[in-house]
Amino acid sequence: MEQKTINTATEEFNRDSAIGYITGGGLEANLEARLTVAPQEVQEGAFVVIDSNNWRFYGLVTDLRLRAIDEQYSNQLNAQRFAPNLAQYLNQQTLYTNLAIMPVLMRDKGPDLNSPDYSIWRRNNTDDPAPMPVKTVPNHHASVKLADEADIADIFGKEDNKTIFRVGSTREQGHPVCLNLDKFVQRSSGIFGTTGSGKSFLARMILAGLINADHASTLIFDMHNEYGPDTTSSDTGSAVPGLKGKFDNKVRLVGLGAETRFGNRNADFSLEISHSDITTEDILQLTQILNLKETTATTLDKLENDFHDNWFNAFMQMSVGSMVENEEGKTEPAPDSVAYWARQAGIHAGAAEALRSKLGRLYNRPYLIDSPASNGLQDIITALQNKRHVVLSFGKFDSELDYLLVTNLITRKIRDAWERATESYHSGNGPEPRPLVVVVEEAHKLLNREMASQTIFSTIAREMRKYYVTLLIIDQRPSQIYDEVMSQLGTRISGSLGDENDINAVLSGLPGRGGLRGMLAKLQPKEEVLMLGWGVPMPIPIRSRRYDQQFWKDLLGEEKPPMTTKAANKALGMDDDSD
Amino acid sequence: MSERQKNIPIGKLLRAENSNFVAGCRVRQLDTPALGALVKVRLEDNSDIYGLITNILINDDSLVRQLVSGVSIPTEYTADNRYNRNLPVEIHVLTVGYTQNGQIFHRLPPRPPLSLDELHLCDAEELVRFTSLNNQAYLRHILRLPDQPIEEILAAHIRRARAAHESTGNTDWYEQACQKLITLLRDDYLRLTAVLDVLTDLEHE
Repeated sequence: MEQKTINTATEEFNRDSAIGYITGGGLEANLEARLTVAPQEVQEGAFVVIDSNNWRFYGLVTDLRLRAIDEQYSNQLNAQRFAPNLAQYLNQQTLYTNLAIMPVLMRDKGPDLNSPDYSIWRRNNTDDPAPMPVKTVPNHHASVKLADEADIADIFGKEDNKTIFRVGSTREQGHPVCLNLDKFVQRSSGIFGTTGSGKSFLARMILAGLINADHASTLIFDMHNEYGPDTTSSDTGSAVPGLKGKFDNKVRLVGLGAETRFGNRNADFSLEISHSDITTEDILQLTQILNLKETTATTLDKLENDFHDNWFNAFMQMSVGSMVENEEGKTEPAPDSVAYWARQAGIHAGAAEALRSKLGRLYNRPYLIDSPASNGLQDIITALQNKRHVVLSFGKFDSELDYLLVTNLITRKIRDAWERATESYHSGNGPEPRPLVVVVEEAHKLLNREMASQTIFSTIAREMRKYYVTLLIIDQRPSQIYDEVMSQLGTRISGSLGDENDINAVLSGLPGRGGLRGMLAKLQPKEEVLMLGWGVPMPIPIRSRRYDQQFWKDLLGEEKPPMTTKAANKALGMDDDSD
Repeated sequence: MSERQKNIPIGKLLRAENSNFVAGCRVRQLDTPALGALVKVRLEDNSDIYGLITNILINDDSLVRQLVSGVSIPTEYTADNRYNRNLPVEIHVLTVGYTQNGQIFHRLPPRPPLSLDELHLCDAEELVRFTSLNNQAYLRHILRLPDQPIEEILAAHIRRARAAHESTGNTDWYEQACQKLITLLRDDYLRLTAVLDVLTDLEHE
């Protein structure tokens, strides 16, 4: 009977699947809609469409509010005072639920197909107009519907198993929601969530999607050895396939140091870093962790000046505290000592000796050697340039010092290589550089407030987009990451976050934070994520896809027999025709 | 149903205006009209004006005052005063609709009825016909009564109309009327709850 009353309110209402109609609101404050179905049929974060004249509006439910036309009706139990049927009618007419809808996009869908104006409109719009940010509001009483599969595909794209990658489905009706991976890698992005929120499974899936689409190379700094080799889930104990196993030809598994092993699988090659690869810049980036003093920069300058690339080795070869007697019988620093060099260079000997002893921590790292058998650093860069993907596993070297030193060192080399390649591309002397995504786990260690100014990563997040390099940050404490870096992140995918500061950090720099904050705070602890930011057309909470056998079957098809070398080369883009 | 039954005369018009009118009757006739009943006045052009009885007024006169102040009143005096008095009983009617060319409207008539026009009580069939139309729009007229126990008038009317409809097998009418009243009155919490209290009372009969 209530339905009848509503139908008379407006002709525009009474569409097949409407859940309510617009009653007020605006762009700044959310739109208000009166719900005509039970509130339990709609959840916060539901993706809704509103048709009004020739326009379709797309929005997110940010709140559901219980309302009464007069508070007195809601303040007493009507069923106790009145006959049951009367109380029921009274409640139907006086108590209701309002939706707060954050309008995000709108699209010109043109006049009705049967209208005479349609053909004129179609002539001017041969392609369906793309959705654009919302700039106006729907009419009063325009009907509100839950988005169907086609609406979601209109906005998020239709899964093509390549760049339009399905990351999950809507929570209420399970319609697939996709992410455009090409757009995803155009700017730096982040995946966040507390431990156990499924963050690393989601990261694995997206990385699998990126490798499968193969439009960008990925370099994964795998601090906990979980992306490359097959592992076992800490929650369920079941086997979790790694990227190497599934993309054997495309992925190079690199171990840090000669000793790193992955169960019964060997690394494709190991990374040993030559002393001569360490620059003074790399050392300065470790200022905090090595507790270096302000004088360090001057000392390092002098060392580089005197010994060039060989400075680290030369410095470490110097003895500390050795003295000799001179012709006059006085003791003075021996010619091979740090103090002797310092005196020559006009540096305070104490400062130089202190630096020498602090650098001893690096010198002892087994993966730093004087003359490695192969140039692992260059091999990584070559592999990435040759459209392969690299998982660098830190093996047992999982201290912060190792992580900071190695990631910085490699990334600096990459920056140099990609900047060179881009410059030669722009000057017409080379091919377009291969886009590269650098995947950083535990990103707050590299990108916290203190470190961000020293590490290369904040530069990448800010500027490297034009050199085809972007970051994919995976972290559980986004609030620890430097604001300036966070605000640069194009796409953010966040699982459940407990801490208010973390929630605010994920939302930093985005419009409509108020409504999104509630959504983010109320995500289920597992398997629910909120996608938002520049890389997605509009924010949307989704139930994330499961990382299981079905995922791999959907992505790669049925298990295929091993490829021939020729086919594998072709798949990797290494055949002669591809360039 | 015979023509006589259809047109039970219950009085003649004393005064009228578009929105309401007053008829007078003898006390002897008083067992027929009742609060909330649907009545009509047939005009000369054969159109009808419909109304609901909202009040029945028995005025005093000087003789009654004298009798009332007497110590004891012989029974025959009482009977004589009641049945032979010169003052009529006043029946107040709220206009709720009219017919024109046989069609019923739930609006006020263009002109009021005239004095001495005859007031008739509508029978069940006509009650059903009049109250079924226009989504019970006529109920809105009751709400504009000033200083009257609206809920009681409504209850009396709804009770009669419900019985008439249910005798034809239509049980929906009552439910629809309740909803209509809620729609009309929901902006006036006190009035609506008073009406619902009375309707709840009816349910318990």
